Amino acid sequence: MDSPTQNTSLRRLQNVEKRIVRVLELAGGVMDELANPTGPRKEFINNHCREFMKMIKDIQVTLRDEIKSACEYRPFEKCDYSSRISNEICCKKLEYVLFQLDAMKQTIDEYQATV
Amino acid sequence: MDGNLEISLDKLPIKRLESIEENGVERYPSDSSYDEKRVSLIRRIDFAWALEDDEERERKKRQKKSSKDASATWQWQSMVENLQLAHQELSVIIDLINTVDANDAVTVAGMTRPKPLPNEVLSDLAVSAATKLQCYRQLGKYFKQSAKALEEQIAREARFYGALIRLQQNWKVKRQRLAAAASSSEGFIIDLFDNSLYDSAAMCRPSSLSTIRVDHDSAGMLAINLPPNSCRSLHFGFLGVHSADIPKELGKIRTRGSVEQCTREREKESMSDDEYIKETHTLLREVHQSIFDDQVFEMLNREAFNQSIGVNVTGIRENYLQLSIGQGNTLFISLVPSGKGDDQDAANTQDSESAIVPLDSFDNVKLEGKHGTSKRKWGFPNRTSCEIYLQQIVHEHAFVKAKDKPNLSGTRVSGQSGKDGPGLLGHFCLSLAHRIFSNRVLVELENVVCRVPYLHLMTHPTWHSQTSSWTIFLKVPQSILHAESQSLKSDFQNMKDAVKSQFRTKVVVNDDRINVEGDGAPNVVSLFKRSSENISSVNKYECDLADLPVIILLQGDTVSLVAHVNPEDIKGGIAWWLVMEDGSPDDWKLQMDMYDGASEYRKFLGHLTLDVLYSTLMDLVSLCGGGRNH
Repeated sequence: MDSPTQNTSLRRLQNVEKRIVRVLELAGGVMDELANPTGPRKEFINNHCREFMKMIKDIQVTLRDEIKSACEYRPFEKCDYSSRISNEICCKKLEYVLFQLDAMKQTIDEYQATV
Repeated sequence: MDGNLEISLDKLPIKRLESIEENGVERYPSDSSYDEKRVSLIRRIDFAWALEDDEERERKKRQKKSSKDASATWQWQSMVENLQLAHQELSVIIDLINTVDANDAVTVAGMTRPKPLPNEVLSDLAVSAATKLQCYRQLGKYFKQSAKALEEQIAREARFYGALIRLQQNWKVKRQRLAAAASSSEGFIIDLFDNSLYDSAAMCRPSSLSTIRVDHDSAGMLAINLPPNSCRSLHFGFLGVHSADIPKELGKIRTRGSVEQCTREREKESMSDDEYIKETHTLLREVHQSIFDDQVFEMLNREAFNQSIGVNVTGIRENYLQLSIGQGNTLFISLVPSGKGDDQDAANTQDSESAIVPLDSFDNVKLEGKHGTSKRKWGFPNRTSCEIYLQQIVHEHAFVKAKDKPNLSGTRVSGQSGKDGPGLLGHFCLSLAHRIFSNRVLVELENVVCRVPYLHLMTHPTWHSQTSSWTIFLKVPQSILHAESQSLKSDFQNMKDAVKSQFRTKVVVNDDRINVEGDGAPNVVSLFKRSSENISSVNKYECDLADLPVIILLQGDTVSLVAHVNPEDIKGGIAWWLVMEDGSPDDWKLQMDMYDGASEYRKFLGHLTLDVLYSTLMDLVSLCGGGRNH
């Protein structure tokens, strides 16, 4: 479908987005825990905060890599529209040939049926 | 003091938190102004207790005094003293008021903080803690809501951008930020205009279809909205020939576009994203082809009026061009909205008042054996193949850069139209005219060959659109050869060496000239010029092509007539060669006339009994003037 590099780059950026969502969820969880009337549980908060910081770091690293590796945008250096038209014409030819071959086959079948 | 102790509670004079914001900023109530502080202080002065205490003290004093002085002035004395005290207090107040009135800068020097009671501390703490917890809870809820909203938005955008990226692999996607600001979408457009054209001067006008806006549909997914019937396709046909189209397959892609629009909304939920992207891609393909067809038609129109060879414009309408290519054949080229090709064809032919002869296209001639009644002589090439050919030559000429063009000498067409040569359209018309003529030639050749088992017809591809070539092989089976040599051994001694088991005749058609060559006799060439204005004199035409079969078989250097009669071979393995010495065609006509039904020799073979054949052959032999039958 698409080149592997593009695929993983896109995938990495999508992962960044998912991580941001997760980070927000963690923050919400921490806040809820702090609002606990019986007092916050320490390990819970610790775990969440650790995961939060780790995710922030991951996001930062990934974004930095992607920004560095993003290539310069060269718009449409090679346009393939004319070869696309050639291909369309070839497709039509193929369809036509197939039709002819089918007709031939039908003729043969009819001939054999009568024989 | 007795009874009920009155307690009045003030707020502690500390700064209390009024509110806390989302970003953690704490808001305190604004400091009251100087006047307000004064007024509030004044209000707080409550002298009721003081009065009462004083009264109490006074009473005690008086009681002490009164114990000494018990009698007359008791009531009056207390009242006087109370009044004096009140007077003192009042004078204090008046002083204070006067000071306030005079607006002296009187500040509260200090106020000793009343010592907080233990439960006050705790309650304050509890209140602030509860407020903070409340804030945390609100924050937590806010974060979780944001997370969910962000997740939904990411999913929606991932779908949109995923589809856009997949389309971008095949098409040019551009973005206009100004338009994005104006409308609600992000301003993406798909550009279908090819700016790398070879002949850019000719086609520099992008059609209105070439930029397509990318919209969002109701679910946030990518959507492309086109007005219906905005795509047009090239349609080609021969006037008067209502040829059977390739019915479904070629029309499949075309009709998809018009069907697409109405069913898209309904079926979108049932389609997966992949299928939807494929449908969109197909739609874009269709638009792209439509743009190309428009350009083709425009170029043809331009060429048609440039006076090139082989092109005569006989009719023109909107999106319709009619040309005559000679020999009474007329073709038309038109632009029709996609999916309506056949209707247009019928409508046009009726308009032009030509009789619609229902003919199958020529290429189905084999099936016609069953139907039987079709006229094979007037077979036209299949209109679809002509359409494709037209598109191809236009594309190669105009769109492909010179270095990429395939190096086929036959199809190289000069783009220049004018007196010096046929332009693109001229070349096309000439090719078609040739094709029609060569089909007729082929009919004749096939008639010659089809009933003779030893004759084989082979078609040679010439890679040139105005030349066709066939070869007829005459293969003698070995049995006859041997038998021949046995029975006629004594007489035909030389023949064994000279006999050939294969004879070849080559037929070449250039435009409308037939060229026949025999095997081993490059000098014996029979040339038939078929003039294009002689269509009325059918006899001559028939004659020419009817001669063709005869001439084909009668070519050769050393030509001898040998008939082999094998009386033991009952199965009718009769083969005869017409191998004759060179002579003019006229002689042979003569001989053929002598020949009983010479023009029907193909029927003659296989149906005639052996002795009749033998006798006729002997006649011929004698006619040959005693030439040795080799």
